[in-house]
Amino acid sequence: MARLTTLLPRGVSARRPRLWRGAVLACAAAYFLVPLAASVVFTVDVPGKGLSLDAYGQIFRADGFTSSLLLSLELALATIAVVLLLMVPAVVALRLGAPRLRPVVDIVCSLPLVVPPIALVAGIGTVLRWGPEHLAATPFFQTLVAIQNPAFPVVLVLAYTVMALPFVYRALDAGLRAVDVRTLTEAARSCGTSWPRALVHAVLPNLRGALLNASFLTLALVLGEFTVAQLLGFQPFAVWVVNVSGSQAQLSVAVSVLSLLITWALLLALTSFGGGTSRRAAPRRKE
Amino acid sequence: MTSSTTTLTGPAAAAAVPVRRHRSAGWIAVAPLLAFVALSFGAPALAMLGGAFTARDPATGATSYTTANFAASLHGAYLTALLGSVKLSAVSAGIAAVLGLLLAQAVVTSRFRALREAVLTASGVLANFGGVPLAFAFVATLGNSGVLTRQLGLARHGWDLYSFWGLTLTYLYFLIPLMVLTVTPALDGLRSQWREAAQNNGATGAQYWRHVALPVLAPSLLGGLVLLFGSAFAAYATAAAMVGSSVPLVTLQIADAISGNVLLGQENVALALSLDMVAVACLVMAVYLPLQRRSARWLD
Amino acid sequence: MTDTTLAVPLAGGDGHRTRAAGATVEFRALRRAFGATVALDGLDLTVRPGELLALLGPSGCGKTTALRMLAGFEHPDSGLVLVDGEDVTGVPAHRRDTGMVFQSYSLFPHLNALDNVAFGLRMRKVGAAERRARAAELLELVGLPDHGSRYPHQLSGGQQQRIALARALALRPRVLLLDEPLSALDAKVRLTLREEIRRLQQELGITTLFVTHDQEEALSMADRVAVMRGGRLEQCATPAELYARPATAFVAEFVGTMSRIPGRVVDGGTVEVLGRRLPVDGEAPAVAGGEVDVLVRPEAVRLSHDPAGRARVVATAFLGAVTRVTVTLPGGTPVKADLPTESAAALPPGSAVAVDLPDRPVLVAPRAA
Repeated sequence: MARLTTLLPRGVSARRPRLWRGAVLACAAAYFLVPLAASVVFTVDVPGKGLSLDAYGQIFRADGFTSSLLLSLELALATIAVVLLLMVPAVVALRLGAPRLRPVVDIVCSLPLVVPPIALVAGIGTVLRWGPEHLAATPFFQTLVAIQNPAFPVVLVLAYTVMALPFVYRALDAGLRAVDVRTLTEAARSCGTSWPRALVHAVLPNLRGALLNASFLTLALVLGEFTVAQLLGFQPFAVWVVNVSGSQAQLSVAVSVLSLLITWALLLALTSFGGGTSRRAAPRRKE
Repeated sequence: MTSSTTTLTGPAAAAAVPVRRHRSAGWIAVAPLLAFVALSFGAPALAMLGGAFTARDPATGATSYTTANFAASLHGAYLTALLGSVKLSAVSAGIAAVLGLLLAQAVVTSRFRALREAVLTASGVLANFGGVPLAFAFVATLGNSGVLTRQLGLARHGWDLYSFWGLTLTYLYFLIPLMVLTVTPALDGLRSQWREAAQNNGATGAQYWRHVALPVLAPSLLGGLVLLFGSAFAAYATAAAMVGSSVPLVTLQIADAISGNVLLGQENVALALSLDMVAVACLVMAVYLPLQRRSARWLD
Repeated sequence: MTDTTLAVPLAGGDGHRTRAAGATVEFRALRRAFGATVALDGLDLTVRPGELLALLGPSGCGKTTALRMLAGFEHPDSGLVLVDGEDVTGVPAHRRDTGMVFQSYSLFPHLNALDNVAFGLRMRKVGAAERRARAAELLELVGLPDHGSRYPHQLSGGQQQRIALARALALRPRVLLLDEPLSALDAKVRLTLREEIRRLQQELGITTLFVTHDQEEALSMADRVAVMRGGRLEQCATPAELYARPATAFVAEFVGTMSRIPGRVVDGGTVEVLGRRLPVDGEAPAVAGGEVDVLVRPEAVRLSHDPAGRARVVATAFLGAVTRVTVTLPGGTPVKADLPTESAAALPPGSAVAVDLPDRPVLVAPRAA
């Protein structure tokens, strides 16, 4: 009898929360998995012909696939290189020698957050139009023309670097917070290492996770970027996907599925490699 | 750094040299970043600002300063688009905030460590999964010839993905995970002592949520809501790839105006619209940052 | 004088309960396992009305689990919790009528001190004016009448715990529960708050359970101390009795300082140690000739300067009036002795000394490995 009275209330109170939790998780799983599953079904289930992986085969034969993907990858590599070359010395300097510059860098790296990509591209477009109007006779004009070379539009690298700044800054800053840069460099210097060597050999190896994290965020940003590229008239991967969708719906969905799988694989690799730091990274804003 | 000056003269004098060198080295390390931002961000921003306030006479080619662009950006189709964007962002951010909170709470209170890790990792991916692939995934699922539309005959029930609610449903796909990422640290920061202290003071479960948990979470929830709003407000690729222009959105209007799809000579109105967006984004930040600070003080 | 001022908050208010004396609390055969670990293994304990009982033990001994069962945050696998003879095992936490002070950080961060104290009254739908008046009285009671408008992050750790105490008392609970409320505080604050809690508890006459792992805290505050180990009660007695007549070797060593000196059982009631034969206190080990440890308090050990002595002083620690001298016996066994500081001055480290015990019954324990 005593057992019954003691066990009953606990059983009731413990079972109820588990029920709502299960319901919430089930709904979430349905909402997030159905579009993925449906996309796969959409690409392999050809009406009237049954199941076929044809859409995926077509991807590699499609016109412009290779060139646009290569362009996106090149842009991504260039952006990663530029943004890291700019940010790594800056954030290390903030920790080591110039903490008073922190507010300046804080503001500079947050500015892109208040300018949506579409507004940024409107501004860039205006700057580019200055060329023919005001600068036609100056060397600046040649520069403006050069950065818009469709084979490798440097102007996109500039725009993407600006867009990546806030995320890269936060990722690197979080990484550096976990490492005592000052002690590391002082320890290295007391072992007779020069300044640059101390940075390269003592600090950077400890930043590996943060660097990977920042690189991945930038990679994901550039591979998926559509707004700036489309409105400036270039055709990297994301723009190409939209352009082919008009004529080949299945193909564009197949490419979307594929690009999503690649992104997931990269992120999972990074999560297991970088010790789970990726999910703490700053959520990136949509373009 | 300053403490070195309190040591004896000899070592202090020796230390002062590298200290000064660090300081200038600090400037040198930061300078390229500042120069780059001034060029790549400052120039377009100034161009935007300048262009938004100038008008050009099509006949003479002369430019003059004016606020007419702003007036235009707040009228007619442009105003509809701006309001449409605000409405879509507010509705989808509101729904995503509630659903994201539920999901985060389900995950945080779960005893399964693996479930938590899986959901947070997936959220990290999905919060970044906007743009074109998202649009096509939903087109394939719920578009006119989408798998679910055909299987369930949704078209007969009046379903249309290329509408306000269709777009909302799509935006939730990256907004909910974004909310989960934003609010999970806050839920982790809710101490079990608070629940127990509340119960100990005679509060029921509902009273605990009403009087303790929600007020304590409020800054984080509002901060998350504002962040989601900003994220939805700035989104362009998803809408452009999916609905074309069947739902009026400010980003779509800017794109049309820039590319001269509608009318020629609307570039400067596009710049004024862009500034409108920047103003909204600044407002978002002005609300978000103080909330974030207060939440950090309560929950760290 | 203080009694009359205290009578105001207790007799005023809604007055639905005017019980002055505390309640009786009984744990009966409480058992609780978390997976493979057994937190409570059949705990039986009775707390008398109005007394302060300290639950003392190493971490993981189940003392906090017992407290939380009384508060309703944990539920026993079997057994009963009785308050004034009434089974409360099935009563949900928010209707348990207990006031609890947590280890730390339990104040609601979005409410100021006054609203924290008044929280329970608000849950009971007490009117705003009465709520504020009562909360102000309680703040006065804990010595912080001017801190009502401060928020938790503006208060020191000690102040936060005082507010938490006021909050726990706000609903005039039948039992006050203190879950290591001082362990996160500085040593000095800890001492003053210790006295304050004791004073308040005695003035209110409220039955109080106090969980701690700090034996000094338990001995100095409690009417009785219950020493727990492995989910069971080892001994429950007054501090003096616990110190002088520990029921088990575990209690003896956990409460106060004990040295183990090797000895040998002579017969059922006698043990041979340091060349003396002393009667065994309590139950003697069965086997004659068996190797045992004799447990002695430092104040019971006598040291004398003796060039022929085989023990050596290895360290001295000045404690004020007494100095604790550590010596090693020939086998390497360390023994601690408290000597008046002036006589300890004659025994610098390295001195040869003789160790002696008074002619009193001693506790013995099986030889430590």
